[in-house]
Amino acid sequence: MSIIFSKELVELFAKKDTVKVLATTDAKGMPHVVVKESLQLNESNQLIYFELLESSQTNKNMVHSIWFNRPVAVALIGTGGESYQIKGKPVKSIVSGLLFRDYYVKIREQLGDVDLAAVWVIEPVEVIDQRFNIRSREEEIRHPYFKHLDRLAK
Amino acid sequence: MSIVPKPKATELSFEEVAAKYPQFPRLLLLKTDLQRRGVYYTKQALSKVDPVIHQLGGTHIFGTRDGILTQRPEALILRDGTSVITSPTPLEQNPYIVDFRDGRLVVMDGGVELEEVEYWTKPDYYNLTTSSGIPMSHVASARPQRIYLMPSRYCHFWTDNQGCLFCDIVNNLKQQKSELNLPPRLKPQDVAETIREALKEPGRFTAICLTSGSDFHGAEDFDAEVDYYIEILKAVGENFATPKFPSQLIATAFTEKQLERIYRETGLLSYTPDIEVLNERLFEWICPGKARWVGYQEWKRRMVRAVDIFGRGRVNTCIVAGVELAKPYGFNDEDAALQAVLAEAEDLASQGVSTVYTVWVPRPGSYLRGQKNASLEYYVRLALGLQELRQKYQLSIDHDDYRRCGNHPDSDLARI
Repeated sequence: MSIIFSKELVELFAKKDTVKVLATTDAKGMPHVVVKESLQLNESNQLIYFELLESSQTNKNMVHSIWFNRPVAVALIGTGGESYQIKGKPVKSIVSGLLFRDYYVKIREQLGDVDLAAVWVIEPVEVIDQRFNIRSREEEIRHPYFKHLDRLAK
Repeated sequence: MSIVPKPKATELSFEEVAAKYPQFPRLLLLKTDLQRRGVYYTKQALSKVDPVIHQLGGTHIFGTRDGILTQRPEALILRDGTSVITSPTPLEQNPYIVDFRDGRLVVMDGGVELEEVEYWTKPDYYNLTTSSGIPMSHVASARPQRIYLMPSRYCHFWTDNQGCLFCDIVNNLKQQKSELNLPPRLKPQDVAETIREALKEPGRFTAICLTSGSDFHGAEDFDAEVDYYIEILKAVGENFATPKFPSQLIATAFTEKQLERIYRETGLLSYTPDIEVLNERLFEWICPGKARWVGYQEWKRRMVRAVDIFGRGRVNTCIVAGVELAKPYGFNDEDAALQAVLAEAEDLASQGVSTVYTVWVPRPGSYLRGQKNASLEYYVRLALGLQELRQKYQLSIDHDDYRRCGNHPDSDLARI
C-alpha cells in the first residue's frame, strides 16, 4: 500500500530552504550520508532525486539497494523545526528515454553545465515524524521506564 | 546439431541459480538468461510498439535467432537501467515471453510474471536521412546511450572461408542488403552528418563505438582496416570540440605501429580487439581467420602492448562466452572450461587487459547454428570471476560498462 504524505510534508519537500538528506549503505553495510537538494516528490507520490555523478558512492549504493532490495532513508529538516524521516526502497533508475531527457534538460537549465547520471525513484515505505516533542511524547507513553528518577522527584 | 530447448537434468533452474549465488543481482541474472534463451514477443506486446517512440530492430551487425530482421523492438531495458540486448527467438526454443498485461510490459516465464520492462526509445536522428539520401538509422544504430557505427559490414576472413564459427556477419549483411538496402560500407561524410544530428539530442548518448569485419589488405596486414577506421574516426571527430571523446574501437588486434597511428590521428579513447575465445586450441578452430593472420599468442601480445598506448583500463577484449563448449572440439565440462578461461583472463588482467563476455547465441546464419549455449550457472560464475579479476588488478571498465555498452553481464557488476 502506498504511503500518503501529509500536506505539511508535501510542502516541506517543495520548500527551497528545507535540508534534504539521503542515507544509503554499501555492500558491506558502511553508511553514507549526503545532502541531496534535488530530492522531491513525483506525481506518483514517490521520492526522486537527480544523481549528477555516476561514480559517486551514493549512486553505487543505490544500485546495490535496487539489486538487493536494501532500504535507504531520507531526512527532511525545515526551518520551522519540522523534522521527518522517510524510509524507502529504490525501485527505478531512469538513465535514458524521454523522461530522462526532460529531467536532463531541466537540471541543466537549473545548474548549468552539469551531467545527469540517473534519476532515482524511491518508493516510500514508512514516514516518521522526528520532531522532538512528538518523539518525546511517544516515548513517555510507550516506555515509562525510560527516564531518570530525579526528573520525577518532588 | 539439434536444438535442445529444455535445461538438462543437471542444469540448475533460474531460481536454483539465484539461491546458490545470492551475491549475483537478480536483475542481472534475468538479463543474462534473457540473452541466453532469447525472447518471444506476444501480439499484445508487439501492439504496444510505437514506431514513432520506440526503436525497431534491423541494423545489427549480427542476425536474429529467428532470421527475421525488422518490425520488432530493438531490445529491452530493466528498471535498474540495465540494457538487455537480446534477439527474438522461435517459441520452440523455449525463450522468455514478453507480454503486455494489466497495462504493463512484462517478462514472463512458465506463466509467471518476472519483471516489468520497457522498450528502447528511438533517437531523433532515426527520422533523418543524410545529404546523400541514406537513412541515418542505417549509418549508426543506437543503444540507449551509445552510438554504434559499423563502417564495414564485410569480414574478409569469410572470403577464404575463415570466418569465426559463431559469427553470421556476412550472411546477415546479405540479408540486410536485400531486405533493408543497408550500405555495406559507410562514407565518412554520411557518418559525420549522422553523428552531428545524434549529438543534438540532449542527454541521449554517452559514447561512440565502432566495429567492422576484419580486412587484412594493405601494405602491412590490416593497414586497409586501420586506414578506414582513421578516416571514419576523423569524420566522427569533426563534431567534437575536444581532441578526444568517449569512444571505443572493437577491431582486429593491430600492431603497435598501427595503434599509435590510430591513437595519434583520431579522438579514440579505448580499444577492444575481441579474441572471442580464451584458449589457443579452440581459437585456432573457432577463429581460423584470426588464427591465420595474427595467431593467438600474437593477439594477446598486441593487446598487452596496446595498454602502453591507450592506458590501463582502456584496453579490453571480449569473448563469446559458451562457445568454448561448442561441439565437437570444445570443452566437455563447464568446470574445466571456466577454469581455463579465467586462467587466461587473469594472465591478461595481470598485464592490464580486461576481459568481458557476451552470451553466445548460436545464430542460424553461423556455422555453429543449432548448438546450445552454456548453462545459466556458467554465465554467473564467469561474470563473477571476470569482475573479481578487474577488482584484483584494479582495472576500470568504464568504456564497456552497463551504460557505454550494456551487452556484458560481467561489466554490469562494476556499477557497485
